[in-house]
Amino acid sequence: MKRSRTAALLLMSTAPLLLTACDRSESASREGLYTSVAACVAQTNDSATCQQAFAKAQQDATATAPRFANREACEASYGKEQCAERSDGGNHSFFGPLMTGFFLSQMMRNGMAASGFNSAPAFRDSNGGWQRPAAGAGGVYSGGAGTAMVPVNATPNRAVTVSRSGFGTSGSSRGIGG
Amino acid sequence: MRRIATAERPDWRAKAAACGFGFHTIDDAPYWDESAYYAFTLREIEQDIEAPTEELHAMALDMIERIMGSEQQLRQLAIPEPYWDWIAESWRKRDPHLYGRLDFAYDGTGPARLYELNYDTPTSLFEAAFFQWQWLEDQLARGVLPAGSDQFNSIYESLVEAFGTIARGIARPFHFAAVRDSVEDQGTVAYLRDCALQAGIDCGALAIEDIGISADGRFTDLDDNVIGCLFKLYPLEDLFRESFGAYLPRAGLQLIEPPWKALLSNKGILPLLWEAHRGHPNLLAAEFDGGGALPRGWVRKPLHSREGANIAMHLDDGRELRTGGPYDGPCVRQACHPLPGFDGQHPLVGSWVVGDRACGIGIREDRSLVTQDSARFVPHAIVEEARGVLMA
Repeated sequence: MKRSRTAALLLMSTAPLLLTACDRSESASREGLYTSVAACVAQTNDSATCQQAFAKAQQDATATAPRFANREACEASYGKEQCAERSDGGNHSFFGPLMTGFFLSQMMRNGMAASGFNSAPAFRDSNGGWQRPAAGAGGVYSGGAGTAMVPVNATPNRAVTVSRSGFGTSGSSRGIGG
Repeated sequence: MRRIATAERPDWRAKAAACGFGFHTIDDAPYWDESAYYAFTLREIEQDIEAPTEELHAMALDMIERIMGSEQQLRQLAIPEPYWDWIAESWRKRDPHLYGRLDFAYDGTGPARLYELNYDTPTSLFEAAFFQWQWLEDQLARGVLPAGSDQFNSIYESLVEAFGTIARGIARPFHFAAVRDSVEDQGTVAYLRDCALQAGIDCGALAIEDIGISADGRFTDLDDNVIGCLFKLYPLEDLFRESFGAYLPRAGLQLIEPPWKALLSNKGILPLLWEAHRGHPNLLAAEFDGGGALPRGWVRKPLHSREGANIAMHLDDGRELRTGGPYDGPCVRQACHPLPGFDGQHPLVGSWVVGDRACGIGIREDRSLVTQDSARFVPHAIVEEARGVLMA
C-alpha cells in the first residue's frame, strides 16, 4: 500500500474533541515580565495599569523578597550591589534583593485587556536567572523569613519586545506558497 | 497515466468544512476539483516518480557542500553575503529540515522532468496529504474507484514520523508562522501544526507580521517569549531582505525550513545541478540567464518566483508566453519542455519529500502551460489497467 493507513486530524477537525484550551484567540491571560514601566507601556499601551502594577509590585517586594541576615549573604545570591537593608516595620532589619522587574498579568478578551490585573515583583539572581515569589505568597506563610522563591522558567526566554512587523512586508498581498 | 472524469462526492463540501479546508474555492473559482482524477500505474509511480524524487533529492543535498565552498556560486544564487556564515553553520550543524516538493512535467511516457525544487515554502500540502486521501477512501467505499485502487500518499504518516524524529532537536518554544491574511498559507501551517501536535510536540502559532524583536536582538512572540524555533511558511529570501532580517544570524533562532534550504529553494540550483549532472534523464538543460532575447526552446524564470509568476516561455513553434508578477532580479534559463495536455488541462506533478523520503504526490492542473495560482488541485489514484491476460 502506497498510502497512509490513517489520516487523523487533531486541531483542524470540527469534531468535539478540540484543544481550544491551547487556542489563544478568544480569551487568554497575557503575562509580561517587564524591567521598567516604560517597557510595560510599550508592550501593553496601558500606562495607568503599568504604573499601578509597578507600584504594587514594589510594595510587595519588601514583604515577599527573600531575607538575609547580612549583606554578604544576600549579595552571594543576588550579586554585588543588588541588595538593600530593609525593615519589617518592627525592630527587625534584614537584607533583601532589589526588585529588578515586575510581572503584570491581565485577562484578555478578544484581544483587549479586561479590567483588573495581578502583579508581582521579580528578582534576578547572580546567575542572571529570574525569580518570583511562589504562588500563594502573602498567605498563611507571609512574614517570617520571607517567601519561597521560584525560578521563572520562561525567563531566559523572555525579552521585552521593542518592535514588531519587521517580517511580512513582502507577503502582505499574496500567499507565498509555491 | 490517464485523466478520468468521475462523479464528485455529493458531500465533499461538507467534508471540507468539517476539516477546516476553507480554501477549496478561492475567489469564487474552484481550487479543489474532484470532477476528474489522474490514474497511474504502480510502475509509473515507483519507477518514474518515487525513485527519481529520492535520487534528485540526494543530488540536491550533495550540492550544498560545494556551493558553500564557492563564493562564485553563492553570488550566482544571490545569497546576501551577511548570511553566508549563518547558512554554512546551519548546514554544519545539520539543522533539521522537514519537507519539500519537486515539481515534474510527466505524461506517463518519458522520464519525469524536474521543473523546480520547492524546498522552502511548499504549499498544497493539506489537500495532498489529507483531503486527497479522504477522497480516495470515500470513492473506494462508494465503489466509484475500482476495488484495490491505491494512492501514492503516505505524506501524513511521514510528517508525523518526521516531527517525532526531530522533536528533540527543535528548540522551544516552537511556533508556526505564516502571513496573517493568506487563507491558503494559514491552512498549510495549521495542518503542519496539527501533525506536530500528533507527534507530541507542544507548539503555538502566530502571524509572521506579529513576530517581535527585543532590544538585544532576539525574536519574540506576542507574549514576549523568545521564540526558540520558528516554522516559517515564508521565503527565506524575503526574511533576508526585510527589516528584521539583519538580526537573524545572531538571534539564536532556529528556523524550519533551515537557512541552508536557501541554496536549494532557488532556481539557481537548476543550472548548478545540470552542470554537475549534465544529461541526467530527469533534469532539463539549464543555465544562468545573461539577459538578452530569449531564444526559442527556452524558459526564463527568476531565481525567486513562486506560483508561476514572472515566467517567460519561448516555445519551439515560436509562440511566446509571459506571466506577470512581483518578482525581478537575476534569472535562469531552462530548456522548454511544456507540460502535457490531458483534456485541455496541463497537469504538474508535485512530488513530496518529507525528511528524505519521497512519500506522495499532488497534482495541480491549469489551462495555461504555466501552472499559476489559478491552478486546481485534482486527486490521483493508483489503478492497475485492465489489459486482459498478459501472463502466460
